[in-house]
Amino acid sequence: MELNLSLGTAAPAEVYDTIIIGGGPAGLSAALYTARASRKTLVIDMHPGAGALGMTERIDNYPGVPEPISGRELLDRFREQALKFGAEIVQSQVVTTDLRSDPKQVITADNVFQGRTVIIASGAMGRTPSIAGEAALIGRGVSYCATCDAPFFRGKDVAVVGHSEMMADELPTIANFAAKVYLIPHGKLSPESKEIVTQHPQVVYLEGARVVKILGDDFVTGVEVKLANETAVYPVSGVFMYLTGNRPVLDYLDGSVQTTEKGCIAVNMQDGATQIPGVFAAGDVTCTPVRQVVVAAAQGTLAALAADRYLRKTGRSGSTSPESVDSASGL
Amino acid sequence: MLINEADRQKLTELFSKELNTPVRVLVFTVDVNDVSNGNSDCMYCKETVQLATEVGELSDKITVEVYDLYKDRDTAEEYGISRAPAIAIVGARDYGIRFYGIPAGYEFTAFVSALINVSKGVSGLSLNNIKRLGRIDKPVHIQVFVTPTCPYCAPAVQLAHKIALASDFIRADMVEAQEFPELATHYGVYGVPRTVINEDYHIEGAVPEDTFVLHVLAAAGKITKEQAALAGLV
Ligand SMILES: Cc1cc2nc3c(=O)[nH]c(=O)nc-3n(C[C@H](O)[C@H](O)[C@H](O)COP(=O)(O)OP(=O)(O)OC[C@H]3O[C@@H](n4cnc5c(N)ncnc54)[C@H](O)[C@@H]3O)c2cc1C
Repeated sequence: MELNLSLGTAAPAEVYDTIIIGGGPAGLSAALYTARASRKTLVIDMHPGAGALGMTERIDNYPGVPEPISGRELLDRFREQALKFGAEIVQSQVVTTDLRSDPKQVITADNVFQGRTVIIASGAMGRTPSIAGEAALIGRGVSYCATCDAPFFRGKDVAVVGHSEMMADELPTIANFAAKVYLIPHGKLSPESKEIVTQHPQVVYLEGARVVKILGDDFVTGVEVKLANETAVYPVSGVFMYLTGNRPVLDYLDGSVQTTEKGCIAVNMQDGATQIPGVFAAGDVTCTPVRQVVVAAAQGTLAALAADRYLRKTGRSGSTSPESVDSASGL
Repeated sequence: MLINEADRQKLTELFSKELNTPVRVLVFTVDVNDVSNGNSDCMYCKETVQLATEVGELSDKITVEVYDLYKDRDTAEEYGISRAPAIAIVGARDYGIRFYGIPAGYEFTAFVSALINVSKGVSGLSLNNIKRLGRIDKPVHIQVFVTPTCPYCAPAVQLAHKIALASDFIRADMVEAQEFPELATHYGVYGVPRTVINEDYHIEGAVPEDTFVLHVLAAAGKITKEQAALAGLV
């Protein structure tokens, strides 16, 4: 029997100079600069396909890249460059943080990472429950975590809503337990995702469909689905949601970092500093007036420079040869 | 071996650094071959005993005691245990920390943390929250429903156990939903973590420490509906 024992938060890992939450253009640009300056750097990224750049089909306006390029390909180049300078990247979701402790703690499902500085770069693809019936039925059939909740739907019919890569990754887990899975994409599936769907005969792919309402009083009893101009009800006991929105992703901060009225991280735009010393933010999570890859990358750079200055000022570094970011960047 | 060599080494080191006073791990199991006890379908009794025993081998501060739920009825009653597999972690005194079902997957983290916190006899909660919990003067029972593959569940269990450590009136159980489907059905658990406080108060999902403590106060009637609303609990 495989118990998959996780030591997680019970056994903290080593201390990093800079931990970056989010591996989009903001986070990876920051990593490139801190790692190049020999700062021990870790990027924790939930999923490369879960951010705005990773999801974008085609980018035409990133300076220096004249040929059209898919978001994922551009992101891979950012990753390659950060890795080349020594940054570590782990794929995991940050679930909670303690940014006031010393060192700061960034906690994922399997680990507690410690950092002297933290750069928040988790983007703005978050959403609040907005489909009729969704909020009221959370934990009563509406789920956002297949690995957590799929076992509750053994032998039952469920709906899966969304077309993201994360959906495609988790679909097999759901199909493993459920009798029938109605896939309601709210958009276009990638060829890779379609391939996964075809491998699971219990998945019914409702191409072009959208959910308009989740039905049920105490528990989910069905979904009302719009397909072409027709509405149909599918009786299901569970609904797994994989939709994205445009709200900053901050849930793992538990309100510890100051936000603006619009729910973005409040930063000093010069250097990305938040109100917590040693904690910086960059990219879409700060609601910059212009949401573009080049802006996110520039903000990541500013935050990295500021993190490096903070490390020098506080005389704290885990690095063996602390060449400063400023000198590494030629500033 | 359920615990691999690398983890055994890590844990040995961790325990030698972090354990202060001795900890007792009381494991309650059933004999699956004994049909007279009517509980012959215990899913992970054998593995739970083995896991606890392997952990016990890693520090001389940990003592593992294995009891049969039926044959050792007096001990089971003394610790309020009526299901198996169950684990009670007891230090200088019994803080009411229990695991129902195997603490595997992500829950292994919660198990190791409970050993350390009980050995130290400190909750690690903020002073403010310890003070708040000091207002509890009647028994409170927290049950956190989990699945071993749920990344958000172990933090909720750890928090519940810390809260139990901080108050003589509070006991807190991890309940592995798949091993106790009748409890999961009884409390309407279709997603985890789901926390049930005193039968009819629920917390959906993982919440930060301050919010969890306020929920406990609200469930115990120690803050008014207005205060709960102000704190965003309802
Ligand atoms: C449809 C669309 C088209 C676009 N087209 C263009 C364009 O043509 N040109 C252009 O310049 N810009 C475009 N943009 C905007 C651009 O993609 C964003 O401004 C940019 O990607 C923001 O970068 P970021 O690093 O801040 O966030 P993101 O790119 O969103 O990356 C955030 C990362 O954080 C990770 N993450 C989130 N939560 C967690 C967590 N809890 N733990 C760990 N990791 C986490 C995500 O997995 C993701 O990898 C487009 C955006 C969209 C949505």
